[in-house]
Amino acid sequence: MFSPDSATREAEKFLCELNITELPINPFAIAKGLGIKVYPKQIDSEGVSGMLIRHDDQFAIVYATHIDSEGFQRFSISHEIGHYKLPGHVDAIFNEENVHQSRAGFVSNDQYEREADHFAAGLLMPTDLFLAHMKTAGEGLDAIEKLASICITSISATAIRYVQQTDIPAAVIQSVSSTIEWCWMSNVLKEIPGLDWIKKCTSLPRNTATYDFNRNKSNVIEAKRIDSTSNLQDWFNCQFDVEVIEEVKGLGKYGRTLTVLTAEEFDLEELQEEEEIDDSWTPHFRR
Amino acid sequence: MSTNPSEVFPARLKAARGKRALTQGDLARKTKLQPSAVSHFETGARKPSFDNLKRLADALEVTIDYLLGRVDEFKGVGPTTDRIHRHIEKLSESDRQIVEDILKSMNTRSRKEE
Repeated sequence: MFSPDSATREAEKFLCELNITELPINPFAIAKGLGIKVYPKQIDSEGVSGMLIRHDDQFAIVYATHIDSEGFQRFSISHEIGHYKLPGHVDAIFNEENVHQSRAGFVSNDQYEREADHFAAGLLMPTDLFLAHMKTAGEGLDAIEKLASICITSISATAIRYVQQTDIPAAVIQSVSSTIEWCWMSNVLKEIPGLDWIKKCTSLPRNTATYDFNRNKSNVIEAKRIDSTSNLQDWFNCQFDVEVIEEVKGLGKYGRTLTVLTAEEFDLEELQEEEEIDDSWTPHFRR
Repeated sequence: MSTNPSEVFPARLKAARGKRALTQGDLARKTKLQPSAVSHFETGARKPSFDNLKRLADALEVTIDYLLGRVDEFKGVGPTTDRIHRHIEKLSESDRQIVEDILKSMNTRSRKEE
C-alpha cells in the first residue's frame, strides 16, 4: 500500500504534469481533462458523499450536495479523482456481486479511503502553493479561515493541512458533543516528550472551553466562535505547564466543532530545566 | 476467496502487449508512461491505477475488463461496472437509483461510440 504522504505527493506530481501553479485548484476541470463525467446528487439525498463509477471504459464521479459547503463538495470530487489516479485502487472496487465481502473487508478498504483523502488534500492544497500563502496568513484559526477561502476547501480539511505545515506548536481537534473525533498535531508539538497523543473517540477534557461550547448545540449549528486559553496539560496530560490559545468554531450543519490550539514557540531545553527546578522545590518524603 | 484484479493484471498486460507485437518501450511511448512502469506492471512489482488501465487499454486496443480479468476476450463483450464509494456504509436506495440512471446514460454513450 501507499503511505498517506505518498498519496499527497502523487497528487502534487499530477498537478505539476498538468502545469497548474495557482490556487484555487479546479477539480471539475481536472476530472473533465481525465474524461470523467461529474454528476451532483440531489440536495435532499444523503447516502454516500461520493462515488467513482466505471462502466466499460468510461468513468463517472457522483458527489453529494446535501452538505451546503463548496469545500466539502470539491473535496469529495478530489477524493474520487484520487481513487482514479492512485496505484492499487482497482482492488478497492465494489459491485453487486461482492457487496458482503466488501463490507467485511471494510478495515482494509479504509486504507484506500485514507489514501484518497490525502490525495484530495494534496490536490486542493499542494504543499508549495499552500506554504506560500501560509507565510502571509498568520497563525491559528484566522490563518485556517483565510487559507480555506483561498483554496476553497472546508475548514476541517484546511485545518489538517495547516497543522501538517506549520512550524509552531499547534493541534487541531474535531469534536462532536463530548467526544473527540480526531486530533492532528504539528511536528513541533509531536516532539515534546511525554505527550499523550489524543486518540479517536476519547472524551473532551472537561476543563476546556471546547467542552463548555459543545454543551450548547446552537453554538455548533449557528457556527459561533469563541477564543479562550487552556493549558497543554489539559489536553495532552504532559508535564509541561504551557499556556495555549484555544480557538473554538462551530461547523454549522456539519454538526461538528473545530478546536485550534496554538502555543508560542518555546525552547524545550529551557522548559525541561524549569520543570527540574520546580521539581527540586517540591518536598519529597521518605517512605 | 476471489482474486484481486491487480493480481490478474500482469499476465493480461503481457499477453495483450505480445498480441499487438509491441515492446515495453513502444507501449510506454504510446501511453506516455515510463518504460520502467510497464516493466513493473508486468512483473507485478507495481499496481496500476484506473488512469493507467485506461491508457493501456486504449493503446493496446483491449478493454479494461480484459486487463482486470473480468472477460477473456480482448474486445466487444458486455461491459461490466465497478464502483468505489466514499462512506460506503451510507449507501442508500436513492444512491442505487442515481447509479442506475448514470449507467443508462453511459450505456447510451457506449452504443453511440460503437
